Amino acid sequence: MNNIAFTVALPLLAAFLLPIISNSSKSAARFIGPFVLLAMLGFSLAYFNMLEHPVAIALGGFRPPLGITFHLDNLSLLMASIIPLIMLVLWPYANIEGYREESLLLLLAGSASGLALSGDLFNIYVFYELLSVASFGLAAANRTGAAFAATFRYLVMSGLGTVLALTGIGLIYTQTGTLNLAHIGLLASQLNNPAGLSAFALIVIGIGVKAEIFPVNGWVPEVYSTASPRISALLAGLISKLAVLVIVRLLVVAYQGPEALTLLLVLGMLGIIWGELSAWRSKDLKRMLSFSSIGQLGMVLVAFSIPGEAGMVAGIAMMLHHLVVKPGLFMLTEHWNGSLNKLAGAAKSSPLAAVLFMLFALSLIGVPPFPGFWAKLLLVTGLVEANTPLYLTALAVLLSATVIEAHYLMHTAIRMYSKGKKKQVKKLHQTPFTLTIISVFAVVLITALITMAPLGNKLQHIAAESSDRALYINTTFAARHTPVRKQISLIKQQSKVQ
Amino acid sequence: MTTDLIHWLLYGGAMGLIVIGIVGVVTLNNIFRIVLALAIAEAGANLLLVIAGYRFDAIAPILTGSSANQLMVDPVPQAMVLTSIVIGVGIQALALALVVKVYQNYKTLDIGEIHQQLSTDIDNSSGVISLLSSEQPAGERPLPEPSAQHETAQLNQGGDK
Repeated sequence: MNNIAFTVALPLLAAFLLPIISNSSKSAARFIGPFVLLAMLGFSLAYFNMLEHPVAIALGGFRPPLGITFHLDNLSLLMASIIPLIMLVLWPYANIEGYREESLLLLLAGSASGLALSGDLFNIYVFYELLSVASFGLAAANRTGAAFAATFRYLVMSGLGTVLALTGIGLIYTQTGTLNLAHIGLLASQLNNPAGLSAFALIVIGIGVKAEIFPVNGWVPEVYSTASPRISALLAGLISKLAVLVIVRLLVVAYQGPEALTLLLVLGMLGIIWGELSAWRSKDLKRMLSFSSIGQLGMVLVAFSIPGEAGMVAGIAMMLHHLVVKPGLFMLTEHWNGSLNKLAGAAKSSPLAAVLFMLFALSLIGVPPFPGFWAKLLLVTGLVEANTPLYLTALAVLLSATVIEAHYLMHTAIRMYSKGKKKQVKKLHQTPFTLTIISVFAVVLITALITMAPLGNKLQHIAAESSDRALYINTTFAARHTPVRKQISLIKQQSKVQ
Repeated sequence: MTTDLIHWLLYGGAMGLIVIGIVGVVTLNNIFRIVLALAIAEAGANLLLVIAGYRFDAIAPILTGSSANQLMVDPVPQAMVLTSIVIGVGIQALALALVVKVYQNYKTLDIGEIHQQLSTDIDNSSGVISLLSSEQPAGERPLPEPSAQHETAQLNQGGDK
């Protein structure tokens, strides 16, 4: 029954064995990565199909709150299955010689699934640090001076974030005396004081370094323009979402008060304004996409700040949409890395790539039938229903940001379809390999478009499950004796009253 | 009363270390000093965790048999701090390795200069004229052709090597 632990253990084991295996047999080392990822996918999908209600797994047989638990519900298993999937698509198959990048990617995969599944705050911190170290290595993998400098700045910011997050975790421990998320949920009333709330703020800012949250995202444009497009796609698409997931878990379980939600809302709005305006101003595709991803994550944050199920469903939809679209767009910069002016004639050189860009761009803006439209619609209706001055301000910010987004994305598209100089147009040719990777993301997007109705129902189901605080607590403490159950029923009554 | 005072002093000390570290990271110019400031901030966070589980009238959390009935300090934060110290050492080693690499490439330890060179590098690699260039004249000027831009960018890159 504890098979799910393999999704963390296998890639970590493989990551550290890879250098040794690579010494004896290079070809074996090449196959081991994809194989491990497939195994991870198998394990998490098996649980995803089996799961009827959320399950908490006590690792090592220690009952919570003493032991460390893995919390398995639809949301965490969905993320755990997306991790190997997106890694398989972005895997460096062409890399024959080295094993370094593969090793780091496996480390990233293992810690990422740990982050998605874990139900213990300190365990989350450890996986987050592991994830950080792997991402530093990947960001510096180009081995240019610029990549090293960008990674150093990223590391300092991330290190500072870690200190803040650790302080926040320490504060939560002083208030509640526990680190198990469900147990923290039980004792949430003890966190409704200045110390508890500042703990939340510290964790949001600390974990927010990876989630590209407003004041701590200075590293984003630098790292994404110096790292290879595959790594940027991975960091922007997957890693940022996992950091958001941690914040959302904490929010659902322990911080249902208006203060925490307002904090997220304001940070999200600032992120949207800063990200979209910078993207509008930027002169090359890579930086434009990095800033736009800051803006998009701001929207995700705004979505999660809407109380209740409406916010959860909008947030998950925005998150998944960005997870599909942004890696596709970043992969386009593999050959279109020049300034926007030099993109003239790109459509003639590789028409398919230009069409794919249009598809992603339209979905990102939120033009109707595309999935991005439905995600934004959920967000807009959620904001309207919340109906307080601050949420309506957020709505205004969101809609103006959409106009700016439309302007810069369409401007780029127009440049692509304009005539360019012959010598330059040749350089803009996308290789079939890159095109295949991008097409995978496009196919996912179109499939989502076709199956919108069942997908929407599934999302509603996931959101209902993951926004249910009592359910989260109940899952972990189901096997305990009556006192805890009594407490849970009390919480249920409280939430009904509210 | 005195224990209370000492307690607050300890908390204040830990918080002070964190603040010193953060201020250091934000204000210092030398990247090696930034790494040291980061280490100080980490020490503060670790100290805070240890203090969170400390009790004045308790013994170390080791079961010796004879003193089983005595109060023990909370062992959980100590285990956590052990983990986070190890992680911190790893991160610091990585940071220092990056400092060496940055120095080898940019020949400076000043964060401002590194930032400027980094921006120029990124601009050059994408063929955009640098926005930060101090030689750039203000106002209207004959802008070079896009192709010429690209060539200068390439020349600059060649010069760097």
